[in-house]
Amino acid sequence: MDLLEYQAKELFQAMGIPVLPSQQISQPQDLKGLRIPYPVVLKSQVRRGGRGKAGGVRFAENTIDAIAAAHAIFNLPIMGDYPDIILAEAKYDADREFYLAVVLDTSLRRPVLLGSQEGGMNTEATFSHVQRVIVDQDFSPFYARRLAIKMGLKGKLIASVSAVIEKMYRLFLQQDLDLVEINPLGVSVDGEVMALDGKVTVNDTALNRHPHLQALTARLAHPRSLAPGLEQATFWDLDGSIGVISNGLGLTLTTLDLLYQAKGKPGRCLNLVGEAQQDWVSASPPAGKVDYPTVAGGYPQLGAALTYLSQDPRLQVILIHLVSGLLDGGAIVDTITAYLKRQERLPKSRSAPALVIRLLGPEPVSTQALFTTLTAAIPNDSQQASGESKVPVFCCETLTAAIAQAVLLTKPEKADKPEKANKPEKATKASRKKPAL
Amino acid sequence: MKFNPKSKVIVQGILEPLGQIYAPQMKAYGTNVVAGISPGGEQTEWQGIPVFDLVEQAIAANGPVDTTVILTPPYDVLDAALEALTAGIRQIIILSQGVPPMDMVRLLRRAEKLETLIVGPNSPGLIVPGQVLLGTHPPAWYQPGPVGLLSRSGTLTYEVARELTQAGLGQSIALGIGGSPLVGSSLSQWLQILDEDEQTEVIVLIGELGTDQEELAAEYIAEAIDTPVVAYLAGQSLPTLPLPSEALLPPQHRIMPFSLRTASAVDFGTPTRKLAAFKQAKIPVAQSPAQVPEWVKKVLKKKRA
Repeated sequence: MDLLEYQAKELFQAMGIPVLPSQQISQPQDLKGLRIPYPVVLKSQVRRGGRGKAGGVRFAENTIDAIAAAHAIFNLPIMGDYPDIILAEAKYDADREFYLAVVLDTSLRRPVLLGSQEGGMNTEATFSHVQRVIVDQDFSPFYARRLAIKMGLKGKLIASVSAVIEKMYRLFLQQDLDLVEINPLGVSVDGEVMALDGKVTVNDTALNRHPHLQALTARLAHPRSLAPGLEQATFWDLDGSIGVISNGLGLTLTTLDLLYQAKGKPGRCLNLVGEAQQDWVSASPPAGKVDYPTVAGGYPQLGAALTYLSQDPRLQVILIHLVSGLLDGGAIVDTITAYLKRQERLPKSRSAPALVIRLLGPEPVSTQALFTTLTAAIPNDSQQASGESKVPVFCCETLTAAIAQAVLLTKPEKADKPEKANKPEKATKASRKKPAL
Repeated sequence: MKFNPKSKVIVQGILEPLGQIYAPQMKAYGTNVVAGISPGGEQTEWQGIPVFDLVEQAIAANGPVDTTVILTPPYDVLDAALEALTAGIRQIIILSQGVPPMDMVRLLRRAEKLETLIVGPNSPGLIVPGQVLLGTHPPAWYQPGPVGLLSRSGTLTYEVARELTQAGLGQSIALGIGGSPLVGSSLSQWLQILDEDEQTEVIVLIGELGTDQEELAAEYIAEAIDTPVVAYLAGQSLPTLPLPSEALLPPQHRIMPFSLRTASAVDFGTPTRKLAAFKQAKIPVAQSPAQVPEWVKKVLKKKRA
């Protein structure tokens, strides 16, 4: 997860990387108590890039200017994000601006140091001049000096810039970070260096062993906590009417691909954890029953996912596609029937999405048998009473059949009743903007 | 092939929830699981497998061990793997998910010096159908045959394996290199192993988003691999999709520095780039898991003709 600039700079400061005096502003009035001398820079604290070009960075010569600028910045969304905090910082006269980063190269399987004398907002220039040093063994400061020299630095700048790189690397290593970036590193006329902007990306998998980072990220809205029980899930929020619940990134993407190929329109898509995640199976499988571990009370994640998707009014169908040698049919049936019973209790006016289910579980428990059990367990009292089940359920043996069924259910001409034909407003690609990368 | 039913195997983390399930499953399949490791526990055996506190104790009791399968909690993986390396084990398969990348960097530096093969983390491991299971592959969906199945994805591998098996196409080996951004052995490394393997007549390569593993593999195939390759790539429709907001992307996507992504590396790891790489290398790409067997049959027919 990306930290905000002021959080990154707190880490820099603790590490001894030079940063300017600054103050966090949570409302324009706070500027009246500003302890930094004017002129100052006010910077929107959002995680999206491009805030400079969007007007999220402004200079102010006095309190009146600063309050006006702060009002503007608080009301300026950067790619849809509004800042909770503005960073007020002393103004710095940089003679030159460099780019520095430490990042993990997944192909090389090593951290790399990156540096360019062309820093700042001109990313094209930065990229074409970027130099790279691979840290192929344990780090030692010579790697940093090697980068400084590859960048073309001379004299005292070699020492001052490589000292910053060394500290960035130590931060990267100590805190298990995915990225430490300083852009720009300001260089004054007399060769003094200053981290003018910074970016730190924490590694989500390592977060639990860094309480300080956990405290920092806790202050950010956690983008993944879509709903209780779904903290581990990742999702795509698409505009269509077919929700997807699947396990594993590759399998989820495959499901999406096939829906598109069949001219279906995926909506919200959830990728539950992979099966190597400990909470997919029960804490202690019963001895001697190793083939089919049971999960007490069903699959909490699946239940949470169903509840979450059923609240999306755009969805006409939820496609459940789970593949695992550990799938416990009983737990799946328990989870889905519990969900269906919850739906039955909802007011009649609210029609819940149909379920299309494709499961690939342990072979001796054939998927067919699983479906028979599931179908038998579906509460159909109200179906008989009102002549219509609230939640139509379809079990499909193959993925191809499941995809076809899900798409069929969203075709308006296939709906028997006119009130079911209210197709959600047509999703257009243009209606969603691509976020800046 | 370095994996056969005679090779001695231990399971580190055998008393963890997944260890309890998979260690006996591997043993039942015919894998020579000689011991499990679970430090400081009171249990001395699990489902007929003796449990030790240390790897070296297991080796003292059984002689040299060829392979370890690691299922410990993620923050204990580095320690477990270093223990195995120190004890002289030269094949390490890491199934655990969520291992911090810098732990892997440390481990790989050591492993490379000791010429140790590392599979994973976040991997389903491997299966040589009919012979040995070292991971989480559901055995019933596999059968012996000529297809080498090589993948970056877990559950999708099972799906494709089952499609192949149902079409009468057995597998020489099936392997998931791991879904984490940073894994031990690469697709290219395994392509080379499979190219040299006599049982493997055709290779199925399964890719997904993120990292440039597939792009590198496609280049490598064009340069150095004689065995025909059929690919399937998950997420092919993604270029037409709005991308999820950056924070929600799989971690693989977020690992490139911000500034560099906005410049020329913007499509790093994307399906567009991967598809282009496969096209360039003249590797057929199936449209769905169900289409993989069709392509494999075509390729085999051509090869055998």
